[in-house]
Amino acid sequence: MMAARATMAFSLGFHIIFAAIGMTMPFFMSAAHYFFLRRGNAADLELTKLWMKGVAIFFAVGAVSGTVLSFELGLLWPRFMLHAGPIIGMPFSWEGTAFFLEAVAIGLFLYGWKRMHPWVHWATGLVVGISGFVSGIFVVAANGWMNAPSGFDWVNGAAQNVDPVKAMFNPAWAHQTLHMQLAALQSVGFAVGGIHAFLYLRGKAHDFHLHALKIAMTFGAAAALLQPLAGHIAGQHVARLQPAKLAAMEGHFETSTHAPLYIGGIPDVEMRQMKWGIPLPGMLSFIAHDDFNAEVTGLDRFPEKDWPPVLVCHIAFQIMVGIGFAMAFIGLLYFWFLRRGVFPPWFLGILVLFIPLGAVAVEAGWVVTEVGRQPWIMCGLMRTRDAVTPVPGMVYHFYLFLVLYLGLAAATVWLFARQVRAAQTRISLKFHD
Amino acid sequence: MIEILIGFIGASLWLYILLGGIDYGAGILELLPAGALREPRKQVINQAMGPVWEANHMWLILIVVILFMGFPGIFTTLMISLHLPMLALLLGIVIRGAAFTFRHYDAIQAPTSQRVYTLLFGASSLWTAFWLGIIAASLNRGTIDLETRSAWEAYILPWCGLYPVAVGLFIICIFVFLAAVYLIGETEDAALRQHFTRHAMLLNWCVVFSGGGVFLASLAERQSLASAFVRNPATLGVMVLASSLFAALWRFIRAGRIRLTRAVASGQVTLILLGWVLLYAPNAVLTRQKPLSFYDTASPPATLWQLVLALVIGSLFIFPSLIYLFRVFKMKP
Ligand code: HDD
Ligand code: HEM
Ligand code: HEM
Repeated sequence: MMAARATMAFSLGFHIIFAAIGMTMPFFMSAAHYFFLRRGNAADLELTKLWMKGVAIFFAVGAVSGTVLSFELGLLWPRFMLHAGPIIGMPFSWEGTAFFLEAVAIGLFLYGWKRMHPWVHWATGLVVGISGFVSGIFVVAANGWMNAPSGFDWVNGAAQNVDPVKAMFNPAWAHQTLHMQLAALQSVGFAVGGIHAFLYLRGKAHDFHLHALKIAMTFGAAAALLQPLAGHIAGQHVARLQPAKLAAMEGHFETSTHAPLYIGGIPDVEMRQMKWGIPLPGMLSFIAHDDFNAEVTGLDRFPEKDWPPVLVCHIAFQIMVGIGFAMAFIGLLYFWFLRRGVFPPWFLGILVLFIPLGAVAVEAGWVVTEVGRQPWIMCGLMRTRDAVTPVPGMVYHFYLFLVLYLGLAAATVWLFARQVRAAQTRISLKFHD
Repeated sequence: MIEILIGFIGASLWLYILLGGIDYGAGILELLPAGALREPRKQVINQAMGPVWEANHMWLILIVVILFMGFPGIFTTLMISLHLPMLALLLGIVIRGAAFTFRHYDAIQAPTSQRVYTLLFGASSLWTAFWLGIIAASLNRGTIDLETRSAWEAYILPWCGLYPVAVGLFIICIFVFLAAVYLIGETEDAALRQHFTRHAMLLNWCVVFSGGGVFLASLAERQSLASAFVRNPATLGVMVLASSLFAALWRFIRAGRIRLTRAVASGQVTLILLGWVLLYAPNAVLTRQKPLSFYDTASPPATLWQLVLALVIGSLFIFPSLIYLFRVFKMKP
């Protein structure tokens, strides 16, 4: 089972980065394209084409890794899918529809230069973004259902009275999709902004990169500012729907009122206490239930065999939240400098440092959601070990995918670096100032 | 309702074989020697496939989604018993997509890296098509075993054998044939056209021979498939019709009638698919125990309704945009 889990985790962790890029980058591209069509200057066109290539590369890899996932659900968790397919297939079928549109639109956009009316062409680019974004919402809704199963009655280990609509709009879908879509926007916005900050510091075409940075960071910073709020909403829902997950995230071992929130710290599962954390008294009660004195359920209310891995959850959660607040702060600074009209070099340097952090936060967030749900695959109903495939030798399956994905990731990064380098030379020649 | 879903699966399968088939075939074609035509051939294939390849592969995903939402029993059986071929298929799909995209978007178009991409693209096309054939053959081979406790019988025997290999080769031939026919119309260059035409005619024979190979293999495996095929009037009729189209095909190819050639070639492939489906409809999968039909494995009606709704509404968006896609790129500007 560990091999199957590891394979799933690895495939999803790989896919989600590409998915996040695929569903947000087209918006940046469309914004640049809009400026070009409006003002007709060559720099905007160059930028559109530059980002278009990024979209094309990441879309293709995202699409193949997504295809793998749709098979893997069955390859790894056939017994889960046997029950879950009919209930939660609906968001997947809508997701499929949205992807189909996206695939058509991207074909039109990539190869449609000069073949269509410019604004129609622009619209196909926008459709790529919209359908990607919508499909992201659907698939996260499906994940929400695993956290908050609904839309069926569980009778003797089988689902009855299936209601796919209710399953799709499960109690967790809204806060998870909101949080995820903001996460995608902010992590990609910061990464793209960071790359252009880097090129700005290194290159000659300052105006060009500043303009690119502004487009990407405006999306990213706005999302970053909203994210703590969305995360807070998510936390409140988790407190209600999955108290064990919340307790694990916070290392909250004993049910108590006026519960403290820990900054940092290592939960010691043996001793059932937090070590080295800085406690903020009453904050956890407030975050979970809007009341400093509210009771927060701790892990003691659950048999130990139903505990998620506390350490992993807590650390992942801290990483995510830490990066989240840092990005929100940088977002604030960004808007401040934007109004002033100049970005000091040290700020651009910080942006460069933030290139990978959004992706790290996204991964950490998924670890929180997924590991925090353990040992359940359907929260409270089906255990992960009952869902796993009977096929032997899954370790080899895992190794195969490990090698494949690592190779693919390395190749993509390499290709991307070549693109950036080539673009850098071209742009420096054309637009230097 | 189940019929509507079967219709959608059938239509997706058909479009996948035709459109996806051309796509795979084009990749395999690039493995064949072409001398000085190598570079122009690559350009034509990039031009022809670039805008549509993502869309071409959505049909497979559509089938997977319909199966797991609408017919989970079939989906899980296949994913367990045919785990290994599915894995091989996925491997091929990943490498293929990556190689094709990388070839186009590599900022430095160096000859060595381009050659590596092309080789990977071709090899993975060949590999993926072969495993598609293996999977298709395993569906109706009746060797999927739902009860056995031996790993060999559960995960290897369902797809391992002469007949699946023969079908794999057959599918490869069909795909390359389709691609060659299709590509004739995608170029104005006379030498290239001739190159594709020659391949199309040659491959036509390959399709015939490998098709015969499928029958022989099925006889060798002592399956009832071959005799059932000949005894069933519907399948026999379909086969006779398919063969009788050869004359027309050759005439049109020689005369350079591109549209008619395409129509006849896809007609032939459609008939082959039809014959295969007719042979054991409405069962989707034959196993050692009992056949799995769409009717026995369907999800509850509420789910099926939602699925049909999604597919119908999706089609309202997808088909017009697909037609638009093909019009924009397939009309000569
Ligand atoms: C890191 C990225 C990541 C992402 C993007 C996702 N997950 Fe996850 N998933 C994990 C990380 C992870 C994990 C933390 O790594 C798990 C939990 C425990 C494990 O070993 O793997 C895992 C396990 C896991 C399993 C196996 C059963 C289990 O251990 O819970 C399933 C079926 C899913 N996930 C399903 C999903 C779905 C449907 C997702 C999106 C819609 C999703 N996961 C997003
Ligand atoms: C179990 C989980 C998942 C499955 C089965 C799945 C399935 C798929 C499939 C089949 C594709 C390819 C479609 C195509 O060919 O265009 C795809 C791509 C994509 N997936 Fe997923 N996916 C999963 C998880 C996710 C997650 C967690 C997200 C993001 C929140 C996501 C967002 C996307 C996006 C935006 C694309 C489009 C490709 C791109 O733009 O890069 N998917 N996915
Ligand atoms: C700033 C404060 C933040 C808080 C308080 C917060 C809170 C949360 C909580 C409580 C969850 C679990 C939701 C569940 O299991 O249903 C979660 C999940 C997640 N977080 Fe955050 N988060 C924050 C910032 C971020 C940032 C900056 C990112 C990425 C850029 C991010 C990405 C994610 C992802 C991808 C998930 C899993 C997907 C989901 O559940 O929708 N988070 N977050």
